[in-house]
Amino acid sequence: MKRRNSPPTVGVVGLGNVLMGDDGLGPLTVEKLRCEYECGPNAEILDLGTPGLDLAPYLYGKDLVVIIDAVTADGKPGTVRTYRESDFHNSRVPLRLTGHDPGLPEALAQIRLVGRGPSEVVVVGVIPESCVFGGGISSTVLAASSHAVDNIIQVLRERGFDCRKRLDPELPNLWWLVDGTSADTRPARTVPAAHL
Amino acid sequence: MTKRITIDPITRIEGHLRIDVEVDGGSVQKAWASCTMWRGIETILKGRDAREGWVFAQRFCGVCTTVHAMASVRAVEDALQLEIPANAQYIRNLILIAHALHDHIVHFYHLSALDWVDITTIPVATPARAAAIADGVSSWPGNSHHELEAVQNKVKGLISSGQLGIFSHGYWGHPAMRLSPEMNLILFAHYLQALEFQRKACQVVGILGGKTPHIQNLAVGGVMNAINLNSLATMNMDRLGMLQSLLQDLVPFVQQVYFVDACLLAASYPDWFRYGRGVTNYLAVPDLPVDAKATKFDLPGGVVTNGNLASVRSINDWHDQPIRGAVAEDLTHAWYVGGVQPPWKGKTDPDYTDFHEDGKYSWVKAPRYDGAPMQVGPLSNVLVGYASGHPLTRKWSDLAFQRISAAQGGQLRIGDMQSTMGRYLARAIRSAMLSDLALKHWQLLSDNIVKGDDTTYNPPQFPQHEVVGVGMHEAPRGTLSHWVVVDKGTFSNYQAVVPTTWNASPRDEKGAPGPYESSLLGNRVADPEKPLEVLRTVHSFDPCMACACHTLDASGREIARVKVL
Repeated sequence: MKRRNSPPTVGVVGLGNVLMGDDGLGPLTVEKLRCEYECGPNAEILDLGTPGLDLAPYLYGKDLVVIIDAVTADGKPGTVRTYRESDFHNSRVPLRLTGHDPGLPEALAQIRLVGRGPSEVVVVGVIPESCVFGGGISSTVLAASSHAVDNIIQVLRERGFDCRKRLDPELPNLWWLVDGTSADTRPARTVPAAHL
Repeated sequence: MTKRITIDPITRIEGHLRIDVEVDGGSVQKAWASCTMWRGIETILKGRDAREGWVFAQRFCGVCTTVHAMASVRAVEDALQLEIPANAQYIRNLILIAHALHDHIVHFYHLSALDWVDITTIPVATPARAAAIADGVSSWPGNSHHELEAVQNKVKGLISSGQLGIFSHGYWGHPAMRLSPEMNLILFAHYLQALEFQRKACQVVGILGGKTPHIQNLAVGGVMNAINLNSLATMNMDRLGMLQSLLQDLVPFVQQVYFVDACLLAASYPDWFRYGRGVTNYLAVPDLPVDAKATKFDLPGGVVTNGNLASVRSINDWHDQPIRGAVAEDLTHAWYVGGVQPPWKGKTDPDYTDFHEDGKYSWVKAPRYDGAPMQVGPLSNVLVGYASGHPLTRKWSDLAFQRISAAQGGQLRIGDMQSTMGRYLARAIRSAMLSDLALKHWQLLSDNIVKGDDTTYNPPQFPQHEVVGVGMHEAPRGTLSHWVVVDKGTFSNYQAVVPTTWNASPRDEKGAPGPYESSLLGNRVADPEKPLEVLRTVHSFDPCMACACHTLDASGREIARVKVL
């Protein structure tokens, strides 16, 4: 919901656990986006991991939220799809045993009750190949993350956010994809550009 | 007739808690707690640079990020016998306090209040009467008639539109819901207000940690915050002022709203001090060191056995030898190969067998202390502190007991805390204590900086031989310990013994059940299709199974079920 006299704000949120193979797609994509594009002071680019209900404080007060996450859906691994919020509408929210069960719909509903929720939520989803512990990321999903970046930029530009490609892009810090190292041979925590 | 109830959330988040109970004569006779996802998180750390373990450790779990980072650096510092500067202690302490306050507020209002609060009665509440009740117990300005009426209108709107949304799953009208409409209105108004205040707690973590939920400022040897009162880009008076103002907003909410609400809830459900006792051995480790050498702590540690507070053995600091020898993980009923292992020699080799209630049935290992199950969490904090005469614990516990006793006309005592409601109340007592300590540690940090101390880091030196260490932290859910073996700067073994492992542990080789399991015995269950009472007791521990995988489910399918046989 728009607040008068202030420019609209957007939160671009990567979700997923970087230690769980393709589930790390969300953090990976927002890191690439951050390095390749400059989207202005009203765009906050966030790697939030797997926060469950703890999403609420980060979505609070944003006009637009763009989420990038691995999605469970029919289709080939690496497929990139853009969803509206209504695609995720699920009125049957069941009982909760642990703090992790509630997720996006719950966090959104809470902050909307106090009038500080976004008026629009877009989810850029990628179908994962494999989400196993310590599994790295599949080449299919790594390639798809570039399409996901393009989709996010398109969503932002269509809504008036001025996203410019950086002339001198940074190298993404994908520390979790670097092999185990010893203290004696400490490398930079980045992945060689050839892998991206 | 015995009925078997299985509560088993499925899909979407693939790491989960499953609870099985057998109900006979209206109460639980047997219980099993099972984690249905393999973690194996420690294996990822073997062979990695010991200076960077914390970066990975804070990705173990999506909610308890900071606590694993902290336990990891403390473990390596312990192995190296490396002292950290006083500024680093205070900055870490403030992060830990803010994280804990955030966690406790979210647990009380957003994860468990609706087990006790029936929002569907709010439309018939009288806002003026609710305001009078709230004003009688708290000076909080957010309890005005006008404010409460606005919340009531919001709820009326939700109900009349038929779009209860996230609230549609509640066990509304359940016979175990017993608050007056006015009390329901007060607590739900605070549920909404809590959204703003838990956010302030996150901002404190963000300012100090550089980023939240995954902090960036830690290092083995201290913190990476640059301190320079004359620089704009570092920790300076402006930054300290921002922190102070956030804490000054947050503390009244905890002490005048959360603490007061927990007392009101406890006074309204006094019978819940009689259920959920469970395992009565309690463990807490000391935390919030007040000096560089970590010889004195603001939260006391200790062990209480068999519910007997006079038995308390104090754990004075992290060098305590008995705890290092006492902790072992029992794999008899867990899906791993092996028997009983001390953490430094611990292995994590999976051996999945399906759910066999007399055999292996959980991915959670069973940690034991001198062979006995232990309960950890805010209740252990409060019992250990109370038993050892810790003034701050006594101050807030006694205040809670007076308030509840006055409201219900009985006499609440420390022994009553060993219960389901005791765990809720202990979390609020601990939060009130942490609020006092937040202001204290802000003062310690700012005094030390003004005095001219700007050191935050002592560089680690790794020996050319193997060393072992344990990093302890009294996290929101209880005692957390990371056990590391470091060989020439690299991890050769890593085991995390986390609070939920203690509390959700399966049975051990002697058949002794873990705290979740034993706390459910004797719980009333009025309606097996709606096992609200089971949820109340399980939620009182603030369960947090290793989260890990997070994929959104685009098909909107059912994600949890209650199965009654």
